[in-house]
Amino acid sequence: MKPRIGFGERVFDGSNTVLMLALVVVTLYPFLYVLFASFSDPADLLQHRGLLLAPTGFSLESYKLVFDNPMISIGYLNTILYVIVGTALNLTLTSFAAYALSRKGVRFVGPIMFAIVFTMFFSGGLIPTYLNMKQLGLLDTRWAMILPSAISTWNLLVMRTSFASIPAALEESARIDGANDFRILLRIFIPVSLPIMAVMTLFYGVGHWNAYMDALIYLRDRNLYPLQLVLQEILITNSTDSMMSSVADVDKGLLQETIKYATIIVATVPVLLLYPFLQRYFVKGVMLGSIKE
Amino acid sequence: MNILRGWSRHKYIYLMLLPVIVYYVVFLYLPMYGLQIAFKDFSPAKGVWGSPWVGFDHFVSFYDSYYFWRLIRNTVLISFYELIFGFPAPILLALLLNEIRVRIFRNVVQSITYLPHFISIVVVSGMMIDFLSSDGMINQLTGLLGLPSVSFLISPEWFRTIYVSSGIWQGVGWGSIIFLAAISGIDPSLYEAAKSDGAGRFRQIWHITLPGILPTIMIMLILRFGTLMAGGSMEKILLLYNSTTYETADVISTFVYRRGLLQMDYGFSAAIGLFNNVMNFLLLVAANRFSRKINNTSLW
Amino acid sequence: MKYGYQKTAAVLAALTAMTVALSACAGGNGNNSSAAPSPQQSGASETPADGKIVSSPLALTDYVQSGTLASGMKSFNDMAAYQETEKITGIHIDFRHPTVGQEKNQFNLLMSSGQYPDIIEWGWNDYPGGGVGAMNAGIIIPLNDYIDKYAPNLSKLLTDNPDIRKEISTDDGRIYAFPFLRSDPYLRTYQGLAIRQDWLDTLGLQVPTTIDEWHTVLQAFKTKDPNQNGKADEIPLLIAKDTLLNFSNVFLNAWGTTGRFNLQDGKVVFGPIQPAYKEFLQTMHDWYAEGLIDRDYAATDGKQKDAKWTGDVLGASELAVGGGIGKYTTAMAAKNPKFNLAGVPYPTLNKGDKPVLGQREPIFNSTGAAITKDNKHVIETVKWLDFKYGEVGHMLFNFGIEGKSYEMKDGYPTYTDEVMKNPDGLAFAAAIGKYAVPFGGPFVQDKRYQEQNASLPQQKAALNTWMAADNDGLLPPLTFTNEESARLAAIMTDVNTYRDEMFDKFVMGAEPLDNFDKFVKTIQGMGIQEALDIEQAAYDRYLKR
Repeated sequence: MKPRIGFGERVFDGSNTVLMLALVVVTLYPFLYVLFASFSDPADLLQHRGLLLAPTGFSLESYKLVFDNPMISIGYLNTILYVIVGTALNLTLTSFAAYALSRKGVRFVGPIMFAIVFTMFFSGGLIPTYLNMKQLGLLDTRWAMILPSAISTWNLLVMRTSFASIPAALEESARIDGANDFRILLRIFIPVSLPIMAVMTLFYGVGHWNAYMDALIYLRDRNLYPLQLVLQEILITNSTDSMMSSVADVDKGLLQETIKYATIIVATVPVLLLYPFLQRYFVKGVMLGSIKE
Repeated sequence: MNILRGWSRHKYIYLMLLPVIVYYVVFLYLPMYGLQIAFKDFSPAKGVWGSPWVGFDHFVSFYDSYYFWRLIRNTVLISFYELIFGFPAPILLALLLNEIRVRIFRNVVQSITYLPHFISIVVVSGMMIDFLSSDGMINQLTGLLGLPSVSFLISPEWFRTIYVSSGIWQGVGWGSIIFLAAISGIDPSLYEAAKSDGAGRFRQIWHITLPGILPTIMIMLILRFGTLMAGGSMEKILLLYNSTTYETADVISTFVYRRGLLQMDYGFSAAIGLFNNVMNFLLLVAANRFSRKINNTSLW
Repeated sequence: MKYGYQKTAAVLAALTAMTVALSACAGGNGNNSSAAPSPQQSGASETPADGKIVSSPLALTDYVQSGTLASGMKSFNDMAAYQETEKITGIHIDFRHPTVGQEKNQFNLLMSSGQYPDIIEWGWNDYPGGGVGAMNAGIIIPLNDYIDKYAPNLSKLLTDNPDIRKEISTDDGRIYAFPFLRSDPYLRTYQGLAIRQDWLDTLGLQVPTTIDEWHTVLQAFKTKDPNQNGKADEIPLLIAKDTLLNFSNVFLNAWGTTGRFNLQDGKVVFGPIQPAYKEFLQTMHDWYAEGLIDRDYAATDGKQKDAKWTGDVLGASELAVGGGIGKYTTAMAAKNPKFNLAGVPYPTLNKGDKPVLGQREPIFNSTGAAITKDNKHVIETVKWLDFKYGEVGHMLFNFGIEGKSYEMKDGYPTYTDEVMKNPDGLAFAAAIGKYAVPFGGPFVQDKRYQEQNASLPQQKAALNTWMAADNDGLLPPLTFTNEESARLAAIMTDVNTYRDEMFDKFVMGAEPLDNFDKFVKTIQGMGIQEALDIEQAAYDRYLKR
């Protein structure tokens, strides 16, 4: 039962398609560049000017160096743990907060929100934050990678906005059926907000995947290191001289350039694999919107 | 009476809020005593409490800097351009993506546009420098068209353009995710109704999609106002600028970074950080008030 | 290759101490109360007969940057030199290494935590007020008496070399660390101008030594197609403002000035406001206008510099001996067998003049092992640290284990092939890292290490060429009070920003050199005199040491 598509519509679709294709080319290119560069021969790569359309030469040397490090697998396992546990906690607390702070008639919502937003702008700084963690006994524990980032205020605001737009009628009818707030959140709000939950999972998950600052500050035990910190070490060790060595001492090879790219690939590809999985939910959400077709 | 009833009616809600409040207090408010080092001559050995007070010395020293006004101007301008050009871009992309009929094509485009988000700023900046140097790709291309070669990287007048456009390039796809999610939450029956009224695509966008995601847009915009004094990403500016482009590129954060290098001056950095954040926070409060007035959307 | 960046990156070492603080915390306070013997008591125990420092096992904590740990190593405990040291001295060390990366932050956290490991090896200039500041804050202890009594090796070295004692002492004569010493001049110079010798040969030119000769050579590079590809794609000269003004003084030398503070007739002056600096700028401007200097020099990063050198288009630039001459010579060996880089003497105005200002690291750059207030075994620690300044320790830490990482050939400790041509393809630094740390640590660095590290003939020649500068005008490392360094930071941030900006404007012609007087006035307006007074006062204190 398709409506007829008029001329204006076709022009719109056509130009939109062209625009999107152009966008794809422009955005995809840097990624391909990194991919090609990571497989390239370092000396050839340096000489290359302009667009890189295939690896220049071919070398797996940089990947070999990255994977040679026994820390890589430790880092991968830790990161997966932090992503799963951390994201689960994030989603629980953020939806609690978003639900509670978007309900009408709850006291002190205004001041609480103000206090929460306040933290986006003011913090105690590195040293007090560290000493605080020390006093809490969280240094050198896996919790240090999970608890300090339990809620992202930005994400909380987004989810709250989304929850606020859910019709009150849904909530009321459930309440009449005797459901308490936990039940309403779990059975009504989250199911109707699947797209936003998917986005939050993505944002939080990627956040945990890429996190390394907390690890840098709170973790001394190398067995707790997340992948990103291991990779940072590889990158930096290969690109700078240490304190006691002068410029003269360490001969930095050209290889560091391709190691950089290989490291990026190793650290990024798993996240890219996560997205299509979550995209199912977008599609679901968008499909609701496209029943019209 | 009334109060008590309110408490008991919402007891589960307060139960939900409890861990949230504990989190904010323990992890974010407890360390805030550290803000005082903005007014202290901080020495690590003496700690935050033990360091001597210096009042507003750090602020005065910053204000006295030869470059104070230039830094303020550059900082505000770079954020301002980011706001004008960078903010609408993901919304536009989300709207256009939503209009693609072929679902597979839409998914592919969507998946691809977020890729640059994952490439580190170091690599992006490195590529920008490669492409924009005077014998780089851009100049090779414009050379074919007979245009004179431009030294983009050492021209102050180009810096903001380069900074803002590369930012859009990298962030537009990722930024659109939030708006796409909001769009997919719009009730489909609205489109049905519009269609039967004979509304074309533009009118559907204008009358249904945009109003549907307006709350999200407003929240994002308010938050964006709270970053006006941040002056972009310090890391990226450090990678892209050089002393020939200081004139437009040097912002507060990069200046503090350079000064911090000479001496690890925690008190000074904290003071300037505080100054920045107070400004940002005031802007946010103002934007929030404005928004509450005109369309009843508010952060608190 | 930004100078500032290297400086930041050069700061490694604070995470581990936090572990110390942590374990002390977690392990209850037993540590503090367990009646640790006071230094005097423990010192009274006689040295055991077997030559060890202690008769019963003793473990100390040492906080030190690991730098590039060879793969498979988790800490310095896995390094042969330290294992051997433990066997000889009987003291076990728990090493704490900071994560490579944000060392400065981690060091600050350690300093703020209030609990310290026994030993901290660090570049103490990173602490506000330097090693003196840390001593005044009570974090680390003065070592003079201990060194006199319990460190015979270092004592002897200091007695024999009063100049070294002066360098490592504070203004009031205290010593805060067992220093990392680059005694030999050969170890203190590593950067200078380099030129394509094969291009010179092709064009039949001599190595330029004066500014005029440079002009001739650069013009020839530009016009006579020295890379013989039929295209005028040569970039005669690449300059790097960051290193040139802050550190290496190339070209500036000809006018006897620098881009920062230096000495002139015994007084501290600021180079960029000297009349000589104007002449220097004029020359750079002329060369730039003639197309002799890379048009994009201001935006050239390390990677692009690599590309230009290995792309056969660059004629000359300043280079480091390892990361420059060594790197490019190795990289180009297969691609262009003629490729030949030569270190060039610092150019002068008049033929035959001796270069006056080159690049030279100080003997002691504040890097060293300090003993903290929490150390309960100071005397043993001092003896342990002193071991590295003795003959056995010296060889261990510079060359590793005889028969494994080096062999004596005619009295010359020669690194084995396992180190120099590692079968697993490890670079020199990683290969020697399993045995020793010749790059740096609390001991005297050996010249023979550098001779083998920078072993290409071009590298050796370049080092000898660059070392020839007089360098009397360079300021020694000075110490400042907290207030002085705060003022300096405030003034010099503005001044250096302005200096860098105006350098480009003058050179590129955006600002005519007639405005040089205005430039000087502006810098004076920023308070350069106050900065000069501070530097002069610090220098006077240095002279009185």
